[in-house]
Amino acid sequence: MPDSAIELLDPPAEEAADTEIAAETDEVIAADVLVEEISIDGMCGVY
Amino acid sequence: MADFDLDVAWRLHPQVSVRPERFGALLYHFGTRRLSFVKTPELFAVVTALDSQPTARAACALAGVGTAELPVYARALGTLAASQMICERTAA
Repeated sequence: MPDSAIELLDPPAEEAADTEIAAETDEVIAADVLVEEISIDGMCGVY
Repeated sequence: MADFDLDVAWRLHPQVSVRPERFGALLYHFGTRRLSFVKTPELFAVVTALDSQPTARAACALAGVGTAELPVYARALGTLAASQMICERTAA
């Protein structure tokens, strides 16, 4: 098998890490869409 | 934030009040005075199932959360755990 074919089958480690980070970022964004938090401390007249 | 453990039992914190809403639910913690907006009915279903299920993973399954969606729900539950809206359920 020529070297170029091997390169296609084995993406550089850096590229794989980028994909992992992108997937994790997607998870964070999706989770943020599911939950949003606020504090009412300091809001006058709330309690 | 530490990874949320899907394989232990969780429950709503006793000081948390839940108000169902069209978009999902509002959780209010009387101790911390924090509000959490649970912005989908599916996540609300997971949260309400926590008390009756042996693990958070089982609560997710009961609420119809698929395997592919689990990481996102685990992170969302981790957010609720970090703000003490839910807490680990220990044996009495």
